[in-house]
Amino acid sequence: MSELDILFYILSSMSVLFGALVVLTSSPIYSSLYLVMSMLSVAGIFMTLNAPFIAGIQIIVYAGAVLVLFVMVLMLFDLKRETKAFTKGRFSGFLKLVGAGLLCGFIAGAAYESVSLIMATSEEIPTNIAAAAETGFSPTTNSIKEISKLLFTKYLFAFEVLGLLLLVVPIGAVALSRVAGGTHAKH
Amino acid sequence: MQSTEALVSVGLNHYLVLSALLFTIGSLGVLLRKNMIVILMSIELMLNAVNISFVAFATYLDNLDGKIMVLFVMTIAAAEAAVGLALAVNIFKNFREVNIRFFEHLRG
Amino acid sequence: MSHSVLLSILLLAPFFGFLFNGLRFKSKNVQVAGVVGTAMVGISFICSVLLFSQLASLPEAERSLRAEYWNWLNVAGLQIPLAFVVDQLSAVMILVITGIGTLIHLFSIGYMSHDERPSKYFSYLNFFVFNMLLLVLGDNLVLMFFGWEGVGLASYLLIGFWFTDKEKAAAGMKAFVTNRIGDAGFLIGLFLLFGEFGSIVFETLNAQAPTVQDMSWNSNLTLACIALFIGACGKSAQIPLYVWLPDAMAGPTPVSALIHAATMVTAGVYMICRLSNIFIAAPNALFIVAIIGALTLLMAASIGLTQWDIKKVLAYSTVSQLGYMFLAVGVGAFNAAMFHLVTHAFFKALMFLGSGSVIHAMHEEQDIRKMGGLKKHMPVTHWTFVAGWLAIIGTPLFSGFMSKDEILWMSWHSPLGSWYLWLMGVAGAGMTAFYMTRLMALTFWGESRVPSDVHPHESPTSMTLPLIVLGVLSVFGGFLGIPHVLGKILPGHPPNFFEHWLDPRLANIPGLAQANITMEWIGIAISVTTAAVGAILAYRFYIIRKDLPEKVTSKIKGLYELVYNKYWVDEFYFGRIINPIVEMSKGLWMYIDVNFIDKITYWTSDMVKGAGSSVRSMQSGNIQQYALLILLGVVVVIFAVVMG
Repeated sequence: MSELDILFYILSSMSVLFGALVVLTSSPIYSSLYLVMSMLSVAGIFMTLNAPFIAGIQIIVYAGAVLVLFVMVLMLFDLKRETKAFTKGRFSGFLKLVGAGLLCGFIAGAAYESVSLIMATSEEIPTNIAAAAETGFSPTTNSIKEISKLLFTKYLFAFEVLGLLLLVVPIGAVALSRVAGGTHAKH
Repeated sequence: MQSTEALVSVGLNHYLVLSALLFTIGSLGVLLRKNMIVILMSIELMLNAVNISFVAFATYLDNLDGKIMVLFVMTIAAAEAAVGLALAVNIFKNFREVNIRFFEHLRG
Repeated sequence: MSHSVLLSILLLAPFFGFLFNGLRFKSKNVQVAGVVGTAMVGISFICSVLLFSQLASLPEAERSLRAEYWNWLNVAGLQIPLAFVVDQLSAVMILVITGIGTLIHLFSIGYMSHDERPSKYFSYLNFFVFNMLLLVLGDNLVLMFFGWEGVGLASYLLIGFWFTDKEKAAAGMKAFVTNRIGDAGFLIGLFLLFGEFGSIVFETLNAQAPTVQDMSWNSNLTLACIALFIGACGKSAQIPLYVWLPDAMAGPTPVSALIHAATMVTAGVYMICRLSNIFIAAPNALFIVAIIGALTLLMAASIGLTQWDIKKVLAYSTVSQLGYMFLAVGVGAFNAAMFHLVTHAFFKALMFLGSGSVIHAMHEEQDIRKMGGLKKHMPVTHWTFVAGWLAIIGTPLFSGFMSKDEILWMSWHSPLGSWYLWLMGVAGAGMTAFYMTRLMALTFWGESRVPSDVHPHESPTSMTLPLIVLGVLSVFGGFLGIPHVLGKILPGHPPNFFEHWLDPRLANIPGLAQANITMEWIGIAISVTTAAVGAILAYRFYIIRKDLPEKVTSKIKGLYELVYNKYWVDEFYFGRIINPIVEMSKGLWMYIDVNFIDKITYWTSDMVKGAGSSVRSMQSGNIQQYALLILLGVVVVIFAVVMG
């Protein structure tokens, strides 16, 4: 068992734990904080996957921007701790648990199937990251330079559209939350 | 034994199982929680799980496309969160409630 | 001009008149409507005359003009073309229909001059003429039935012409429903004949009839003939379906003249004469026809003795005379029946039109107790009516005498006849003389009982001209068909033109013996004497000693009440037949329809509603439920992919 494996297990259990806490806590603020923790764990997982760039933007964008937005909105609402956090209905709740469980199982099963299929068809895939690191998985191949090269050549169109999206969204958000007369108007 | 070998040496399978678990937990949050904001946060969790899956495949198949995809997913997730929160703010302003139980206006 | 063109004009002219006046039914212009209507029937009359002359020019054995227009029905081996046949029999009919029709249309122009909807009237009349022509010209039973139904419809429309009056509308309904009952019989007869012979064309049926050996009561042929006769009972007002004809007097009087005297009611007689070979091959059916005819003539004549409405007397007289015609066909004397049909058309139409003239002059008064002495005020009407009166009571050498005596002789002489049929006929003749003389006495002769505010005057020429024409025909029309025994003694030995004309087309009575001249003369003597006695008696009762009617009726009060109330037949029908059916229908409606069938439909609709609402519960507005369903869908898809 190499260090990377241990790291993986710690990080993954942290992310799962915090993710579960997001769902189970009754206070929304605590939920958001647990979500931050979960996202940091996921960033660590990205690191183990030899994707530092992705880990970086995960922290910057998700934990640093999106969740800050969440927290701000929650503070705006100023909600009390809920007595009952979960929706009514035992039968429907049970059905939801069963459905989610089935989903999880099927995804996992599908994952195992597809992985064994991939393994069967290709010889050069490393079976674990430790072996991958040994076989000369050069970190430079995963650098920002390579990513941006792809981004600006093969996925240029999508990239531009994404820019457009990023233009439209703030406009939309402002339009949705406008108040007639501006923020200093008297209602 | 082979099974413990599989268990201890982490491979693609493990990441995918992690992704499945996180996804499931996120979907349970969507299905079970009453608070609108918590539902939006659970959606973020689900998107994270998908990101893990993409990056895992990208690493193990030595393909950069997965990481590009993650870039896109993150951008879109951020945009969606922004719009969703704007909507939530609007709802809160109008109804003073973030309990989705009160928003069954599309009942047929 | 070829006969098919003539035939098409003959049929299409009244149809055009129907459409023309029908589309202008709101118009109040009597002149235009009347002139168009009369002209159309006049055109048909000219075509009839031309066709008759064309037919007469052909040798006797081939007197049949057939025109086929197109294929009407083609169903599973049964092919019915739209084909019309003008032969000796239908030529007589179309002459009568169009000739008398034209006169009656002319009369109607004057009679309906103050009506609200004259165009509608003339359009219905033309529609009637069209259907009647279809009836007599069709070469097969189905085409005849088409016309049969059509004249029934026209009769309903015309009887209930003033439908805002509930009683008149009810009379129309009664006519139509009673007619329909007969029509069911007609259809059954049609089906039986088709089943027996495989054809519905008259020529084929008549040709194949002699091949039938079985003449028993339940042979197909006898049953078919009885069923067809039931149809004739409905249309021609015989027992038990005669009840509509007296009520049909609610319609305008020219309608009564045309439809219920001269043409529609004779359709039954025509139908039997058309199928004469078929009926001859079923003597049991003919026996029933004769009996019913004889009973009807007696019953109707007896009721006619007591009625006070001028039109009702004439109506019962019509039923009675139709009874004579059926008596004639019942003993196989098809010729005599057709001749009586023609002469009856003359004098009965004349008398109906005359009564119309009287009613018009009396400002719609129809009760003869309020009339009297009209001879002074309405000379033309009076003298033409006298012509009709003399004809109907059987005054020698008038048309009625020629035809009625032939019937009476044949009812004695034919192997299918018998002495009691003859006796009933003679008794009927006596009663006919009595009630017709009574009518004359109370309406035209004697002292005037007219109320002081009514000033009767003669009708305009458009109304008196048809009366004069028909009067002449009533007097001299009989010479068309002089009975042989009479022809021998008259100067010039005139033959029986009518009989010679129709003979090839009608069946011969099997086993008819040579006529016994002496017996015939005795028969004539007895019938003429009976009629004279009846007339003289009526004259005495109503002119000389006006107190006698009161005395006689008070002595036989019960019998008088029975006859005056028409033997309570209508009440019987209502009480025993119609009301039970109505009650049964009501019961069926309330207990089965509302409780049971409606419940089934409600149950079905409730089921659908329930299914809908249970499916609707899927759309609860609960987002998490939607998310759950999406999730379950994804699970199923992944399952399918993984397992597949």
